[in-house]
Amino acid sequence: MGSGMSGPTFNIDNGYLEGLVRGFKNGILTKNDYLNLVQCETLEDLKVHLQSTDYGTFLANEPGPLAVSVIDDKLRNKLVLEFQHLRNHSVEPLSTFLDYITYSYMIDNIVLLITGTLHQRSISELAPKCHPLGKFEQMEAIGAISTPAELYNTIIVDTPLAAFFLDCIFVQDLDEMNIEIIRNTLYKNYLEDFHAFCSGLGGITADVMCEILAFEADRRAIIITINSFGTELTKDDRAKLFPRCGRLHPEGLAALARAVDYDQVRAVADYYAEYKVLFEGAGNNPGDKTLEDKLFEHEVKLNVNSFLQQFHFGIFYSYVKLKEQEVRNVIWISECVAQRHRTKIDNYIPIY
Amino acid sequence: YCSTAVLIFRLLDFGLLRLTKRAMNISERDVGISFRSEEMTRIQMFLQNDSAYACVSEFGELGLVQFSDLNENVNEFQRKYINEVRRCDEMERKLRYIEKECRKCINQSPPDSGENPETPMPSEMFNLELTFEKLENELKEVNSNKETLMKNKLELTELKHILRKTQTFFDEAQLTLGQTSRSEESMSTSLLSAEAPIGSSSGDSQQSPKFGFIAGVIARERVPSFERMLWRACRGNVFLRQTEIETPLEDPVTGEEVSKCVFIIFFQGEQLKTKVRKICEGYKATMYPCPESQAERREMSMGVMTRIEDIQTVLSQTAEHQTRLLSNAARSIRVWFRKVKKIKAVYHTLNLCNTQKAIIAEGWCPSSELDRVNLAARRGTERSGTDIPAIINTMATRRTPPTYHRTNKFTNGFQAIVDAYGVADYREINPAPFTLITFPFLFAVMFGDCGHGSIMFLFALWMVINEKKFLAEKSTNEMWLMLFGGRYIILLMGLFSVYTGLLYNDCFSKSLNIFGSSWSLAETREKMNVTMETLRTTSTIQLNPAVTFQTGSPYPIGIDPIWNISKNQIVFLNSYKMKLSIILGVAQM
Repeated sequence: MGSGMSGPTFNIDNGYLEGLVRGFKNGILTKNDYLNLVQCETLEDLKVHLQSTDYGTFLANEPGPLAVSVIDDKLRNKLVLEFQHLRNHSVEPLSTFLDYITYSYMIDNIVLLITGTLHQRSISELAPKCHPLGKFEQMEAIGAISTPAELYNTIIVDTPLAAFFLDCIFVQDLDEMNIEIIRNTLYKNYLEDFHAFCSGLGGITADVMCEILAFEADRRAIIITINSFGTELTKDDRAKLFPRCGRLHPEGLAALARAVDYDQVRAVADYYAEYKVLFEGAGNNPGDKTLEDKLFEHEVKLNVNSFLQQFHFGIFYSYVKLKEQEVRNVIWISECVAQRHRTKIDNYIPIY
Repeated sequence: YCSTAVLIFRLLDFGLLRLTKRAMNISERDVGISFRSEEMTRIQMFLQNDSAYACVSEFGELGLVQFSDLNENVNEFQRKYINEVRRCDEMERKLRYIEKECRKCINQSPPDSGENPETPMPSEMFNLELTFEKLENELKEVNSNKETLMKNKLELTELKHILRKTQTFFDEAQLTLGQTSRSEESMSTSLLSAEAPIGSSSGDSQQSPKFGFIAGVIARERVPSFERMLWRACRGNVFLRQTEIETPLEDPVTGEEVSKCVFIIFFQGEQLKTKVRKICEGYKATMYPCPESQAERREMSMGVMTRIEDIQTVLSQTAEHQTRLLSNAARSIRVWFRKVKKIKAVYHTLNLCNTQKAIIAEGWCPSSELDRVNLAARRGTERSGTDIPAIINTMATRRTPPTYHRTNKFTNGFQAIVDAYGVADYREINPAPFTLITFPFLFAVMFGDCGHGSIMFLFALWMVINEKKFLAEKSTNEMWLMLFGGRYIILLMGLFSVYTGLLYNDCFSKSLNIFGSSWSLAETREKMNVTMETLRTTSTIQLNPAVTFQTGSPYPIGIDPIWNISKNQIVFLNSYKMKLSIILGVAQM
């Protein structure tokens, strides 16, 4: 637990990678960059401006008129390259930590492939849509699967996700709702496992990561509750999907399981100081920020704060999350520019 | 001796400098080193819209004007000529694509004739764009054709391997012929019997087990995972045989070689068939229809061979066409790159100007070169064919002008070293002329080995003699560029090191005994009572200079070679060299 985690010995194994990530972090787009980007009239202008940022000439060899999907792919490729470089140069325990970060993408990929197969789409069509960080070898054989038990036995059992799947096997067949239940159950188990792993690492990593993961758990609980209003999901089933590693456990989660509308959810959040602030001022009126936006902002704040401390693994996780947010921002702005619908172009979440 | 020689050298150094100063008053332009930075004038240029491009290109060729950015508050993509810059970017992209194809196909980078083309006019830019687009389209077409052909060839080759290998699988089954039992253990033997119908839907599924099969090719590294997946998904009810294809096959898209295996899967029933198919698709295994009877297979095999030969001919023709296209393009590609860069630079500079009504540019140029700048503007106006000349005004300004040092190829290295510590202010004394001698000399004082010094000198001499050849090569190796850029510095360092090496009497870390040592050991043995016995037993003997040293005749040049065999040579000489270096160095300050 202590080896490689304290100040002087951290740099032996992880110094190069921490330095590298801090360098990458300095290249994250700032408020000025976003101000320039929203002034663009066409996607070509966007490309010219991005050339002066850390992204450089990443679109230089793209022929013809730019499309938002092309920009999306290239933005994500840069993050994937950087992450793979970090992963290739890491040793334990950092390599396990970085692997944990990829599991969430694996879960997304699996659910995407199953949903696609349900809707009779071919694997070759779905494979390019998978996130590259979450690719694993047996992924494309999902086409042959029809029940969760089969899914586990043939594909998942060899992957690191096997431990997360145990609760899902009894689900009988794969339809829309059940797939969502599978996704959320996988994610809940993954979060709790990740949280336990970080606590096991101890030191500053545990402090930083457990706070971030606790917020993630609570945020999922809130979102699941709000999204389940008006669906056939029973309260018991809903309660089983809440990750238990957050602040809301156990009383908040119990209260959320009983909630039936938005105001009751808000009442539960009022008991917790940080979440009370998020619900204030959030609403669906024009000019207000939505609750999701406020949750994103809080997540960005936590991730930015993790860089204030040194000698811990949290910066790797935070870097990936901040880059994801940046990609979401740039794609939002690109869509607004491409469709010439500029009213909501300022709805990005600024990071620095 | 040593110190007087050093003094003489320092006097030479200052004398050289005074000479160059006097020479500079005569014709400043020809001397390659400036004592202080040049006087600069701020000029304002009024250019007509038509002649602006030509004038700026002439200024560019001259290389004596620095333009200031008059549009600082404007975004990059809101400037006037941004569309033309984008067109240049697009042209560069096409050129890069063509270059990449050249390198891939002809396997060497395109040759550089060193030609420096003139800046093309805007009208020519349009022609260039058309040429590049045509070339790019042709290349893309040829590439896609080639890819299709290679894919077909790959499929046929794989089919050929399948037909050959499955022969062995079926043969094994034929060995135990005629057994049609329903028991599981003889699954391999009852696979195929001479009369049992395979895969067909006749009614007697009770009598003989009907086994369908799928044959295909899969990449070798996926085979273990594939086997495991098949076993799990079909609950062990399928049977897989696989062998390797010995020769690696070429992947049509990437051109890399991949090793593959032929596999054949036997199963019973329709459901298993769909499952197996889906798993094969998931592992990117290509499936091929394979006939069951040997005769059909042989026939197919021969047909496949002829088709492979046909495709090979067409493929070689396509490759030839591609090589022809690319070698044509490769001849002019460097020149095209230069032309496009020049166009882009001109439009970039035009973007810096104020373009409200006429084009107004502001910048700095050396006062002594105002004539040449005027001449360049006149040339530009003539080239563009307008009558109205460009007007160049000198402006009085409070801004600090930029520092401009003239250098030639010899002084360039020294000026670069001085600039690395900090660029001198406007009209401040330039330390570089002094460093021409002092820097190599101080190096030599610290280095002091005539053997290694002469090697340095010869190496630098070789670089200087072949400098034209090296400049034309345009190497990108950083270490080499650093050495080559400092060739004159290394030349002088080597030369002075030989001198100081002679003074230190140090050649490849050994002393040379040219004139005979002044410490006489014969006298020592007499006067200090040293016998052969003492010589053999004691490890060191301390020499008494009053006795041993031949007063009146010290070693003429350099340090006496006796020091080479003394035990305290290093202690003594290190201290001596360090003190000398420090005294000389501090005296500079």
